[in-house]
Amino acid sequence: MNHWRVIDTGLRPAAQNIALNRALLEARQAEEIPSTLRFLRFTPSALLGYHQSAEQELNLDYCREQGIAVQRRITGGGAIYFDDTQIGWELYLHKRDLGTADMQVISQRICHAAATAISALGVDARFRPRNDIEVDGRKISGTGGAFDGDALMFQGTLLIEFDVEKMLRVLRIPAEKLSDKAIESARERVANLKDLLGRRPDASVVRSNIVEAFESEFGVEFSDGDLTLSEHRRYQAALREIDHPDWVGLINRPAADMPIVEAAQKFPGGLLRVAVTFDRQTMTIRQVWFTGDFFVNPRRSIADLEAALRDLPLDRLEHKIESFFAGRQVDMLTLRPADFVAVVRLALSQPLMASNS
Amino acid sequence: MASVKGCNIPDDLYYNVETNVWARKEGDGTVTIGMTAYAAALAGQVVSCTPKKVGRSVDLNKSAATVESGKWVGPVKAPVSGEVVAINDALSSAPGTINSDPYGSGWMVKMKPANWDADSAALITGGAVAAAFETKMNADGFAGCGA
Repeated sequence: MNHWRVIDTGLRPAAQNIALNRALLEARQAEEIPSTLRFLRFTPSALLGYHQSAEQELNLDYCREQGIAVQRRITGGGAIYFDDTQIGWELYLHKRDLGTADMQVISQRICHAAATAISALGVDARFRPRNDIEVDGRKISGTGGAFDGDALMFQGTLLIEFDVEKMLRVLRIPAEKLSDKAIESARERVANLKDLLGRRPDASVVRSNIVEAFESEFGVEFSDGDLTLSEHRRYQAALREIDHPDWVGLINRPAADMPIVEAAQKFPGGLLRVAVTFDRQTMTIRQVWFTGDFFVNPRRSIADLEAALRDLPLDRLEHKIESFFAGRQVDMLTLRPADFVAVVRLALSQPLMASNS
Repeated sequence: MASVKGCNIPDDLYYNVETNVWARKEGDGTVTIGMTAYAAALAGQVVSCTPKKVGRSVDLNKSAATVESGKWVGPVKAPVSGEVVAINDALSSAPGTINSDPYGSGWMVKMKPANWDADSAALITGGAVAAAFETKMNADGFAGCGA
């Protein structure tokens, strides 16, 4: 049986955690370390995806006021708020551990195993395309990955006792999303283990479940370990680059290039409101939020639709919404899939001004 | 023109099969580089591409550009060493071109090679291309482009 290593690097500032990402991925690529599972925690941090711009994604004034560090990940995906109410897990693997080089297959396999680990705590956690793990339609873990040659790193969060309101204030989102009602509605889309279980789960149980799920998925056995000398050396070099404004500002686009536009429209099936974050440069919908006064069952369909529309090229909007509803049973009385298309199109037909900053 | 498991792999280009990148020597002495159709199929839809800046020198097999797809981020490694002399600006607004036209409008950077003769000797071109990629695809457990 193959032996992999498990390490826990404890509570650290974002720059240190991201520098360790770089160091361990490089060390795995150089075959200096075995495949590794790392647990980590963050002091309060706003973490950008590799290709994101802080101005476009974050409320930087709020981050400054609250002493929240702003950092850039080496992995893809969207901006997140990470603090000590979450546990991070990461796998550092070689492609030969996986038997495939298809990146989507790899992320699905890891997410399924992580969902099994979370389910063992007593909830029904499942993989939700593209890269989330959810419990009954509510996100409990977000994930992303990076690769270098034959080495890859895949990471996820696990929400234990998460402050949803703080997350909303850290991110650049429509102002109306900060009303009490909107915050309540956001809470319904995010799942905290503490709320689901009625108690704060024991961190050591969470860790051992994750270890066991990955052992079972990959047919390996984990042994506790520490950072090696070569990892320390690589970490010091990576920290010099990453704990620096040039790294955080690596991608720097103005907020005005990614406006948030809103619209409301009355249909026979109800009132639909939408807010859309739209990337004018790539003509891509980054994110949509649907609210309003309409009936939909199951309620999670809206969260699923919003997830399906993330990072969607505008010219695929109609097709994506039609195929989303064609692929599942959703009862929404007389509201039609075309109504969702229409209200998004209405929002995007306005002059694309930055509606908040 | 070679097709390997449904992936277009033109045999007039130079390849580093291991890192899955192509190079083309241009008439002006520069070398254009990009991802292969196979690399693009493994990645899935590319959503972002950030090339190294013009004027930067890049060592052999170091990152010449960074791409993102399906939340995965990774380097496109330079098959030759040299200086970046041009980048494909159109990719910032249309990164999907890397998937739809990887050898044409999906090119990533042009480099002024430091030592083309030595670097290109280690690359594969012509009749050997198809077999080299077929071996790699089999090792990677790859079913085929469009599969």
